[in-house]
Amino acid sequence: MGVPSQSSAAGVLALLSDPEPVLKQYALKALNQLVPQFWAEISEHIALIESLYESEQLPQEAHDSAALLASKVYYYLGDYEEALSFALGAGSAFENDTRSPGTEEYVETVVSKAIDRYIQSRLKEQAEGKIDSRLQGIIEGIFRRCIADGEYKQAIGIALESRRLDIVKSIYEQTRDTTLLTYAMEAVLDTAFPLAFRDQVLKFLFPLFPAPSDDAKTTHVYALTRILVTLNSPEMTINFLTSLVPRQKLLAYQFAFDLVEGGGQDFREAIRKDLPEGTEETKPIYDQLRKILLGQESIKLYLEFLKRNNKVDMLILKNTKDVLEPRSSIYHTALSLQNAFMHAGTTSDIFLRENLEWLVLANNWSKFSAAAAIGVIHKGHFQESMNILGPYLPAQPQDSSTGANAYMEGGALYAMGLVNAGCGSGQEVENYLRNMLRNSASEVVQHGSALGLGVAGMGGKSAEAYDDLKQTLFTDSAVAGEAAGYAMGLIMLGTADATSAEEMLTYARETQHEKIIRGLAIGLALIFYGRQEEADDMVKLLMAEKDPILRYGGVYTLALAYAGTANNWAVRQLLHVAVSDTSDDVRRAAVTSLAFLLFKNPAQVPRIVQLLSESYNPHVRCGATLALGIACAGTGLQDAVDILEPMTRDSVDFVRQGALIALGMILVEQSEASSPSLASTRALYAKIVSDKHDDPMARFGAALGQGLIDAGGRNVTISLQSRAGSRNTSAIVGMVLFCQFWYWYPLAHCACLAFEPTGIIGLDENLKAPKFEFISNAKPSLFAYPAATKPPKKETVAKVATAVLSTTAKVKAREKRKAVEAGETVPEEKKDGDVEMKGAEASSSRHGDVSPISGSLSNLAESTGKGRKSEPSSEKLSNFSRVTPAQLAYITFPADGRYQPVRVVSTRPPSTKASKSPSSAALAPERSGGGGGILIMADTRPDEEPDYIEFETQAVVPPAGPGAAPNPPPSTPGRHIALDESAPEADPPESFEYPFGNDT
Amino acid sequence: MADVEMKPIDDKEEKKEEKTAAEEKKPVPLTPVAEIKGNVAFIERAVSTLEPRFTHRVLRSLAHLRKKLDDKVLRDAVQAIYTTDSPTKQSLLSWLPDAPTEQSMDIDPASTPSKQPQAEPIPEVDIYLRLLIIHYLLASSDTHAKATKLAHETVDKMQALNRRSMDPIAAKVWYAVERAYELGGELADARPLFLAAQRTAALRHDDETEASLINRILRSYLQYSLYDQADKLVSKTSFPAAAGNPQHARYHYYLGRIKAVQLNYTAAHTNLQQAIRRAPPAKTAPGFYQAVHKLSIVVELLMGDIPERSLFRHPVLEKALAGYFEIVKAVRNGSLSQFQNTLSTYAAQFEADKTYTLIVRLRQNVIKTGIRRLSLSYSRISLRDICVKLHLDSEEDAEYIVGKAIRDGVIEGRIVHEKGWMECGGQKSGYGPEVSDVFSRRITYCLELHNQSVKAMRYPLNAHRKELAAAEGAREREKELAKEIQEGGDLDDEGPDLGEGF
Repeated sequence: MGVPSQSSAAGVLALLSDPEPVLKQYALKALNQLVPQFWAEISEHIALIESLYESEQLPQEAHDSAALLASKVYYYLGDYEEALSFALGAGSAFENDTRSPGTEEYVETVVSKAIDRYIQSRLKEQAEGKIDSRLQGIIEGIFRRCIADGEYKQAIGIALESRRLDIVKSIYEQTRDTTLLTYAMEAVLDTAFPLAFRDQVLKFLFPLFPAPSDDAKTTHVYALTRILVTLNSPEMTINFLTSLVPRQKLLAYQFAFDLVEGGGQDFREAIRKDLPEGTEETKPIYDQLRKILLGQESIKLYLEFLKRNNKVDMLILKNTKDVLEPRSSIYHTALSLQNAFMHAGTTSDIFLRENLEWLVLANNWSKFSAAAAIGVIHKGHFQESMNILGPYLPAQPQDSSTGANAYMEGGALYAMGLVNAGCGSGQEVENYLRNMLRNSASEVVQHGSALGLGVAGMGGKSAEAYDDLKQTLFTDSAVAGEAAGYAMGLIMLGTADATSAEEMLTYARETQHEKIIRGLAIGLALIFYGRQEEADDMVKLLMAEKDPILRYGGVYTLALAYAGTANNWAVRQLLHVAVSDTSDDVRRAAVTSLAFLLFKNPAQVPRIVQLLSESYNPHVRCGATLALGIACAGTGLQDAVDILEPMTRDSVDFVRQGALIALGMILVEQSEASSPSLASTRALYAKIVSDKHDDPMARFGAALGQGLIDAGGRNVTISLQSRAGSRNTSAIVGMVLFCQFWYWYPLAHCACLAFEPTGIIGLDENLKAPKFEFISNAKPSLFAYPAATKPPKKETVAKVATAVLSTTAKVKAREKRKAVEAGETVPEEKKDGDVEMKGAEASSSRHGDVSPISGSLSNLAESTGKGRKSEPSSEKLSNFSRVTPAQLAYITFPADGRYQPVRVVSTRPPSTKASKSPSSAALAPERSGGGGGILIMADTRPDEEPDYIEFETQAVVPPAGPGAAPNPPPSTPGRHIALDESAPEADPPESFEYPFGNDT
Repeated sequence: MADVEMKPIDDKEEKKEEKTAAEEKKPVPLTPVAEIKGNVAFIERAVSTLEPRFTHRVLRSLAHLRKKLDDKVLRDAVQAIYTTDSPTKQSLLSWLPDAPTEQSMDIDPASTPSKQPQAEPIPEVDIYLRLLIIHYLLASSDTHAKATKLAHETVDKMQALNRRSMDPIAAKVWYAVERAYELGGELADARPLFLAAQRTAALRHDDETEASLINRILRSYLQYSLYDQADKLVSKTSFPAAAGNPQHARYHYYLGRIKAVQLNYTAAHTNLQQAIRRAPPAKTAPGFYQAVHKLSIVVELLMGDIPERSLFRHPVLEKALAGYFEIVKAVRNGSLSQFQNTLSTYAAQFEADKTYTLIVRLRQNVIKTGIRRLSLSYSRISLRDICVKLHLDSEEDAEYIVGKAIRDGVIEGRIVHEKGWMECGGQKSGYGPEVSDVFSRRITYCLELHNQSVKAMRYPLNAHRKELAAAEGAREREKELAKEIQEGGDLDDEGPDLGEGF
């Protein structure tokens, strides 16, 4: 047996107590070598070592080595804070030690602690005094090293955390790399930084970006937009815009459109007001900018896009209508909503037109819903809103409110709000709705007008509207008060206005009506939208309430205040509530709310809610379904689908309902090729809707799911994030209100606020849409429209069953019949070889896209009969065609084309080569950060005569009477885009009036 | 998760392994190569699902797999797992003696087609194979040096990779390192290595490895009787709570040894109880079981208790504890001469067990026990008689010892010096605060046992999914039933019509 060289450090330790300083110094040195082996023993004498460090008699060198020794001992003991303190005291000894072998881990640990400490003390420094200069020294060293090694992102990270903006600047000056600035911006926006600092950084970063120019296609255009939208500062934006005029006017237009996308109404209003009049030369440009910033221009373009590409599968609606018993109010509402979602923004009310007898069956609140659904269908058609809704609106505010008509009138007023959603503030419509609200005696009409006012004037901060709503609230009518509560929140969205919050909270505590409390609770949540820490007090207050409804509001307040930040504290808080609250409603809300915090990284959500989705508590499970649906909406994320799939067979009806709705949200705008579960989900919807023995809740959910999966004529996605990467305010609000359908079905209409048209709309400098083509470098089938369902072939098989008398035979026949029915609604692809079918379908849709109108609505006839050909790896698309968010990465503009976009189309390059194969993994689950939408195109051949696309909606001649529906008039042949005469939409508009009055 | 520590304990985990391997084994006893390949698949699954359970399962089979290893098996396994020629494969094969080529030719075609991993297997697999090779090299004495070298290389590789999914295997590798050093007779040299690695493990929150390493270091200290160092280490580190049961058992055993040497018998006893409880069943790890019981018996005696008789009839312990049984008898009888005789007879064994110094301390206890027995039997006894009964040398001795016993509270009574006798106090009753103390101690022990068992419980993964399916089925049936009732209702409606027909 070998004897260990040294079994104890006791001897050397004894030297420490020796009076002779030289011996002490020697001992310290020796111990530094021995520490790794005998730290346990040495740590007994740590007090002695510390006293040596502080003693006056020893030379500097001994001081340092004592400090280093103490630091190492503390490091071994696991007390890293102390270790750092002594290491700082060790000065040069620590520096020397970094070079000796075997101490890498020690040095690494101390340095990382130093960074933490530095960040903390920098944060404190804002409030109080100086920080340790030695610490400063270490940190400067780290920065130097990072920059020298090219680890710029690391350095930026540390600099941001420690509030060292000068470092960010110096790095940028050294590299001139705008991606680093974009990185810094994203870091500040997407991770939890306090609001004040965030603004400070953004203000600092903004001038650093080089001025954009339209020839260099820089990606930081998106970053700039995002900064401007987030900062919400009109003067900064105005300065920026004026700097672009007149030389870069195209870019200025582009920015204006992007600002409309993300900015609030009041923000845009402020810019519009303060934009300079301009000189002779620049005046038209400023006028154009003002026009764009009004927001109506974008809405018009999108409306045109949706109308043009409408691909609603009427057969699905028809099937649903046939199987859902219309006399039952819940089923009637379900179908109303399904129709509304499918046709949202397309202005196609053909289904209503064809099913007038069905409409008559609505009564009371289902009539309200049906009327409001018209608003969803015509969403964005604000110019004509009065004409469209005229027949249903109360003629005079005073004489309304007679019984049954009140529901129709209320619904129409709400519809009015929906049509003008997000652009009504300060417009005519606001006054009209206020007038209705003030003068109406019926609470149903008040309800409708309050909701309409809220949705139209969202975020407008209009004091008059707020006061009118408050008056309505104080009448203490449950129905009107509830709507007033929501609307007050909508008007004051994101203001964190203390007085209004106080008023609402006080009233919520006083009133006896649960409905009013709920309205006010959500209203409060809306007021604190995006205010992060500023909402903390209110959240605490609401969470501590005894009334579960107010706690429910507290949960939403927390979620909205931190919407999209993925703030850890907030997530933890919500998860805690989700498992600990005594009220099921609060727990469900807490789980659902997770989606609002985490929507920026949808891939994370399935993991977080996985366990909750298996909770014993059905309310928690239901919350988990909606959380998945909202957070992963439009992504087709397979993980989420895998969790939801089994939940569609849950034993509790409302969990199934949630799962079905969530699946619809997730799979919106997916194609057969990109999402393998699409066909089975559609089949499931058809089966549940037609299953008479299923619970009404589940059937309602399936109908809603059918509506969402084909939302907006299959041309919209659901996205809580705007193209520039910031929060999409109206979508978030819409989804919050949609979640309230649990208590109040008419609020489900608000889901349409979250519908985001996905297309490429190119405009030239005159803001007109020229004709051009661009290329999508992916297999057409990957992003194709789903095939239309086939009409059922024959019902004769079922007839045979009647002849058989024996019960067993009967059962068998029934099953068979069931199977046949289920099979028939499944899209054809399931049976045939799917590749060929998809190819055919894709080619048909491509044909449709080359001349967009000829394809629209006639796909029923077109989807068959195309020959089998191998699929091309790219396709040509024309202006105003659908481009899904995942597809954007594949879009390129041919270099020789006449029109070139002034900014890049997408911020992301195609992820991998492999993603061209039609597998589900191909579509990166991450949310597209930006791109698409309205693009301003530079004309490379300005001398040629441009070839414009004619707009259908703008060609509308105001209808003669209030009874006329605002359908597009038959287009004259010989125009660029001829309407297909056989398409149903092209039928001349017949005067049709919603036959509400007939059912009394 | 458990590694083994002394030669007799080597087959500690065998039974567990047999249990887990039973289902695979039943149809056809697996060849070692097939078993290794199965294990590799498990490791890959463990890494891909982030579920260390599978790795633990693989490592449980280590002890029994180890006996079947030879260079042909290992070479075949490496060939089968690494289908493509890669540096990793080359380095693995370089540690194995070269074999006649035709032999591997036979095996290759048979084993490779079954599995065709396109990509290079994950590093965990590499480390696992290295672990097997080290164990194989350790088995024969002339390859020890090679084993040590490979162990070093493996450790370096592990630390460079720094993968948390590797931790359980890493913990085992450290055991192999220790074993290599121990067989080389230079265990102390490994200590700095262990200490450095322990710090690294603590920094990386690598609980498995840290637990294993703390045990390695403690063992190394105790091997050289550095109780003081060991105690300081224990007091300055915290044993990771997440470590596996066998590591805990071993840690408690070492603690028990340290505490016993430091005269803290109660604490030692508690630790040894824990060690016994956490140890694997007696049959699977007889060596550890015996070692712990030897120490535990001595500590119990030192506490003044007499171990239960049944313990010595335990099949695993009977033979091993023969010497200790004699000691217990001597202490029980309070016969000093018998004690001395036994001590001298079994001295060599006690030395080997490292319990000799503790047993020597028992002499006082023997005397005390004798006096207690006397005090219970006699209400008054002369010192002379005490001398005779306890084989003491003189009456002065007896007087001194009795006086000490009275002061220590072993007996109640007093010495009447003038008369030269001892008067004993009243009988101790079976009730009183003492009893309740004992009672509460037992209750505490039981409650703790219960709590720890609850903590150790696992729920089967995804069992609830079955319930989900069942619920779905129930709903379907309910629906069918509803339909039946409706249909049945139709039939009933038709009933009267039919009746009229009749």
